[in-house]
Amino acid sequence: MEIDGEKTLLERKQSTYISLDETFEIRKETYGGQQYSQIYFTRLHLMRTLLYSLVPNLKPHLPVCKILGLEKGKECIIVGTLYKHMKLKPSILDEYSKTRSVTPLVKPHNFMHPDDHLILEDESGRVKLGGTMLLPSSYVTGIVVALHGKETGAGDFFVQDVLEAGLAPQIEFPLESREDKYVVLVSGLSVGSSASNPLQFQLLVDHITGHLGDEKEQAIAAQIVHVIIAGSSVEIPRGLLNGQNLASQDQSRLSEPIKELDIMLTQIAASVPLDIMPGPNDPANYSLPQQPLNRCLFPGSAAYNTFRSCTNPHCFELDNIRFLGTSGQNVDDLQKYSEAKDKLEFMERTLRWRNLGPTAPNTLGCYPFMDRDPFLIDSCPHVYFAGNQDKYETSLLKEGQLVRLICIPKFSKTGVAVAVNLRNLECHTLSFGTQFDL
Amino acid sequence: MSNSGSARKRPLPPTKSQQPPPSKVQALGEEEFFDEDVFLDETLVPEDEESLILRDIEERQALASRLSQWARPPLSPAYVSKTQSILFQQLDIDYVIGESHRELLPNSFGPAAIIRIFGVTREGHSVCCNAHGFEPYFYISCLPGMGPDDISRLHKILEARMRESNKNSKVPQFVRRIEMVQKRSIMYYQQQKSQPFLKIVVALPTMVASCRGILDRGIQIDGFGMKSFMTYESNVLFALRFMIDCNIVGGNWIEVPVGKYRKTTKLLSYCQLEFDCLYSELVSHHLEGEFSKMAPFRILSFDIECAGRKGHFPEPTHDPVIQVANIVTLQGENQPFIRNVMTLNSCSPIVGVDVMSFDTEREVLLAWRDLIREVDPDIIIGYNICKFDLPYLIERAQTLGIADFPMLGRIRNSRVRVKDATFSSRQYGTRESKEVTVEGRVQFDLLQAMLRDYKLSSYSLNSVSAHFLSEQKEDVHHSIISDLQNGNSETRRRLAVYCLKDAYLPQRLLDKLMYIFNYVEMARVTGVPISFLLSRGQSIKVLSQLLRKAKQKDLVIPNVKQAGSEQGTYEGATVLEPRAGFYEKPIATLDFASLYPSIMMAYNLCYSSLVTPEDVRKLNLPPECVNKTPSGEIFVKSSLQKGILPEILEELLTARKRAKADLKEAKDPLEKAVLDGRQLALKISANSVYGFTGATVGQLPCLEISSSVTSYGRQMIEHTKKLVEDKFTILGGYEHNAEVIYGDTDSVMVQFGVPSVEEVMKLGREAAEYISGTFIKPIKLEFEKVYYPYLLISKKRYAGLFWTNPEKFDKMDTKGIETVRRDNCLLVKNLVNECLHKLLIDRDIPGAVQYVKNTISDLLMNRMDLSLLVITKGLTKTGDDYEVKAAHVELAERMRKRDAATAPNVGDRVPYVIIKAAKGAKAYEKSEDPIYVLENNIPIDPQYYLENQISKPLLRIFEPILKNASKELLHGSHTRSISISTPSNSGIMKFAKKQLSCIGCKALISKGTLCSHCKGREADLYCKTVSQVAAVEELFQNLWVQCQECQGSLHQDVLCTSRDCPIFYRRKKAQKDMAEAQKQLDRWDF
Repeated sequence: MEIDGEKTLLERKQSTYISLDETFEIRKETYGGQQYSQIYFTRLHLMRTLLYSLVPNLKPHLPVCKILGLEKGKECIIVGTLYKHMKLKPSILDEYSKTRSVTPLVKPHNFMHPDDHLILEDESGRVKLGGTMLLPSSYVTGIVVALHGKETGAGDFFVQDVLEAGLAPQIEFPLESREDKYVVLVSGLSVGSSASNPLQFQLLVDHITGHLGDEKEQAIAAQIVHVIIAGSSVEIPRGLLNGQNLASQDQSRLSEPIKELDIMLTQIAASVPLDIMPGPNDPANYSLPQQPLNRCLFPGSAAYNTFRSCTNPHCFELDNIRFLGTSGQNVDDLQKYSEAKDKLEFMERTLRWRNLGPTAPNTLGCYPFMDRDPFLIDSCPHVYFAGNQDKYETSLLKEGQLVRLICIPKFSKTGVAVAVNLRNLECHTLSFGTQFDL
Repeated sequence: MSNSGSARKRPLPPTKSQQPPPSKVQALGEEEFFDEDVFLDETLVPEDEESLILRDIEERQALASRLSQWARPPLSPAYVSKTQSILFQQLDIDYVIGESHRELLPNSFGPAAIIRIFGVTREGHSVCCNAHGFEPYFYISCLPGMGPDDISRLHKILEARMRESNKNSKVPQFVRRIEMVQKRSIMYYQQQKSQPFLKIVVALPTMVASCRGILDRGIQIDGFGMKSFMTYESNVLFALRFMIDCNIVGGNWIEVPVGKYRKTTKLLSYCQLEFDCLYSELVSHHLEGEFSKMAPFRILSFDIECAGRKGHFPEPTHDPVIQVANIVTLQGENQPFIRNVMTLNSCSPIVGVDVMSFDTEREVLLAWRDLIREVDPDIIIGYNICKFDLPYLIERAQTLGIADFPMLGRIRNSRVRVKDATFSSRQYGTRESKEVTVEGRVQFDLLQAMLRDYKLSSYSLNSVSAHFLSEQKEDVHHSIISDLQNGNSETRRRLAVYCLKDAYLPQRLLDKLMYIFNYVEMARVTGVPISFLLSRGQSIKVLSQLLRKAKQKDLVIPNVKQAGSEQGTYEGATVLEPRAGFYEKPIATLDFASLYPSIMMAYNLCYSSLVTPEDVRKLNLPPECVNKTPSGEIFVKSSLQKGILPEILEELLTARKRAKADLKEAKDPLEKAVLDGRQLALKISANSVYGFTGATVGQLPCLEISSSVTSYGRQMIEHTKKLVEDKFTILGGYEHNAEVIYGDTDSVMVQFGVPSVEEVMKLGREAAEYISGTFIKPIKLEFEKVYYPYLLISKKRYAGLFWTNPEKFDKMDTKGIETVRRDNCLLVKNLVNECLHKLLIDRDIPGAVQYVKNTISDLLMNRMDLSLLVITKGLTKTGDDYEVKAAHVELAERMRKRDAATAPNVGDRVPYVIIKAAKGAKAYEKSEDPIYVLENNIPIDPQYYLENQISKPLLRIFEPILKNASKELLHGSHTRSISISTPSNSGIMKFAKKQLSCIGCKALISKGTLCSHCKGREADLYCKTVSQVAAVEELFQNLWVQCQECQGSLHQDVLCTSRDCPIFYRRKKAQKDMAEAQKQLDRWDF
């Protein structure tokens, strides 16, 4: 029995935090009749400047053309926005189709078809792409690419090579901070859904706040410097929100999960800085970038200055290490319209394409920006995450610079949160699953 | 001047206005046929003018070389040396008056009709064959006792009378000769085989009509007194006469053997192979093997754009043609081989398209003419080209004084002719149109074909392509077209892309609907030129077959004077009174296969087997040789005299059987298309024979036949009902008593009472076989389908699931239920479809009722998507011309006052919604522009939609199912709560002061978002607001992305204002809702 043993006072580590969400905020902008063409135009314009700068190094002998300037058989470089023609892509016009089919025709999770083909477009025109260099299955609408090839007799552009811009440059990786500091990433809490387990969540909170385990474990908890909640924190019964007046018992059913979440978040916010991002199921808008969840939803936690309601996508720096991530919509959308071996590959592609959500606005809801494209990645993050994935996956890209890719699993389904070490970008899971397969 | 569109050839009137407007006297009648002679010299441009044109062409060498790469393949040496016989598929046949050919017809002199046959060889060479020596003629009955002397006297008198009425004519001899021939009239059963007729051969085709007039009125012949003559076959168009006599059918292959043709000395056409021959040397091939194929025709599809002035529909006297887009396809190929667009002023290039830009409109027009000449299309297609594009181009050229533009035909220096034509027929109604004759090229206007063949709610190119190709088309409002034209080369490029799409869609429709195959086959089956099929009604097709058959049998067809409708009508088909209800047991349908044709065959109903009442007494025919029809007419049986109509029908139906059998065997998709088109044409032709005999103002009406047909039909339906209900009874050893619940023209619906589809099919087959046995062949009752469940509403209105195999239903079949009525809003269509779906497929009556209630509640609560409420009507005249005030006309007037530029013009379709107006406002005052409604929050009138739009169709469906349908559906508790939006710009609202109100309870507050009571509910109220925003955002994205998709560009703004597009209003609304929703959301940012 220990009496008056010297109680080690664990002190939580600190880190400096800089929010970089400004580009994702919609403040003064309004819906004033603008359309989606502007965002494509801006994207093409910015990316073209970048891609053109690569040509002298990669293909110095080739001329650069616009689609209009193509001549039959002449090799050249063209830059444009890809458009993928997809047979099975659902369309709002299907609602009006003559014959209602008795059974839905397509599987809802993937709309690929062998007949899909790619088209390149710039402001001057469109051309169909041919050849085997560019597989329709791994590209989607909205990416700006530079292609080397020539026009064939049939009016197609035969692609011989794809010029890649590669990863964007990173800010310098800080070497001086050589101590372990952890950032906890969690998503898909889904408070209020049938899948969520309150105990599981409580264990997570207790672990973060240091109320769990012995000193050794608490010492680890003390190294947690930041918590990120990447979307889908609550699940609200959607059926209640059909515009009709709510009965009083429904009102409580609606606000109950939010209250519960607020209580838990208050516990976290009391001990460690917390960023909450909106996600697909949250009481937030639909289009990306999703704007911060309103503070009125969190009367308790919002009182702490450690509580930050952020945008989705979310970008910030902790001790000069740059984080960028989403609640997962961008990656999920890519999976519907293209193919890859795993989710990490989708994530890697978005970095190489230098666009967080190329399918916005085509299939990914998006605000019609006038003169900017907030999804462009001009500085590569050190940590890149996507929330609400089915399982935990991670990898480290090493191409002169390090990028940690993380798929954050849905907490309500898996009981898994992810911790990233700021010192070396190493990454491990915190598992609170209460069901064990014995 | 004839008013019922007809003659092939007419001289071009100096100006359009000189033509008197077509009178409407005969508008109700079936068409009458006229020939009109065109004299070769009159249409040709004088030589000096021609050289001027040629010089002009030289100046535009650059263009010429660009176009020349598309010329037809060069002739092989065998053709050049005339050592090869010429085999070609003919597409168009007309005639022209010229000097008789001295070498071919050494004995003739003076002007004569020359038949011109245009076609294409297998190698793709264009052919113009001038066939000489065919003379126009007709028959009259010979008076008893007329000898050769009398005939020559008649000849002299006739010649003299003809000269009198054609004083200006230079023809040396009007009546060439009169021959006596042995023929028989097709009318009535006659015992003697033949009697003498006189064949009168005249010099020129038009003289047939004037000669007929003289003989009709009567002439004085010595020894016979004043006599008027009944004429026979005097109303047959000359070209058709030629085809019949030479056994040529529309679109078949013709061969001219080596040595039988000679190259025309002075080429008159632009065709590669132009030659003269005697008409008797032509070899017409039967449609078998190689000769059922199609030659590689060149099909040009084009579209023009005009820069209209604001507020006016383009007029050729003011508004320039700014672009012409052309797509040329070879018949049988999937892809067009020429795509080009001619633009006024510069235009940025378009990938895969030859863009030709010109500085003046004159050059654009002339370039198009040169294209036509170089590419030499056989068929010209487009959408509304006959009424708009072609006349516009020609009138525009006239305004600009480009005399050498309208030479688009295949005849050198011959101008096309435009005239107003009224086309009227019983089946298609009366339509006014412009007739542009382009010699040697067939015009095929897809709009006319659509109007003819399909019942659609809208015939705009947009909705037609949405219907058949499942694609929405971008629609640029004509007020924007001028802006795009006046912009830069980029905006003009935008317009060119649009124009190209409009040119390509008709081609795609043509392919999709197999129009070439179906129409060529129809021409082949019925034996008329292809061009007749679109420009004329049904009767000429039957007449052509009748004439062909009659010729084989030495029969002649009298030219019955237009009897008008004095012959009265006859009783039509019968309908067994339906027992309305919702049948949840399978209903078997017994169909008579081709009922009317079968009846005509079975009972030998024909002109030539009909016995007149006098003859019945006189001839004393044995009763076993005649049939008395239920309507009381007497026809002889086929044993005594086989009728012509039954024979034609037999041939048609056997040919159809063979075509269907071949179709099964066929592998090649093109061959399949031909055969399928053929069997369809055969079926349609067989069915139109009956109608021909019943057309009281037609060519050869014979109500005795048609009324007999329908009376037999009625008898058969009754007979079937009786047999079914007598045989299939519990007494007869069956499980249930069968019941006939409904019978229509040629089908009977039977409820056998058995619950399984399989059992019913067995019984149905049994019944069909049993009953067929009691009929005379070839009348046959067939069992084909089962309806299960079956909703029978009333006569010709029903819906059901259609089963042809016991495992799974094929489709939902509805008849007479509002789904395509034009003046219904989309809501009705959706509601009816959804209800039927729920009732029939889901078998969920409560679900359907609930769905109706929810929809009505949505309507009353103002939650309805506005696009579902839009009603569209065509504006055919301006307001003053309408006698009764109509909603859409009034609206068009009001819109013109608001903004003349975007207001609808005559010819446009006007979309509108019915809004809530002051009490007692007239219905026509309550119409409003949907966009205006959206922008100003004007409340719609839900009561109007409830009562005038959805109630009737709904009650029709639900009355057989629910007891108190009206009370239940239209007056239930779901109709109690009503919400109406507040207009933002009208009446008292202009003076109202806006104040903040609490989002939760609408209490007035001075600042912030919520009142003190609602403060505690912040979270849930916020959730509500934000979820609305999310929903609108999602809709916004889906809609605008779809529109980008349609216009085919990501980087350009969507311009489309297609009001036919179902999402047009939703898109507008989403934009507006979005702005509002965001404002609401912003209130929470405190």
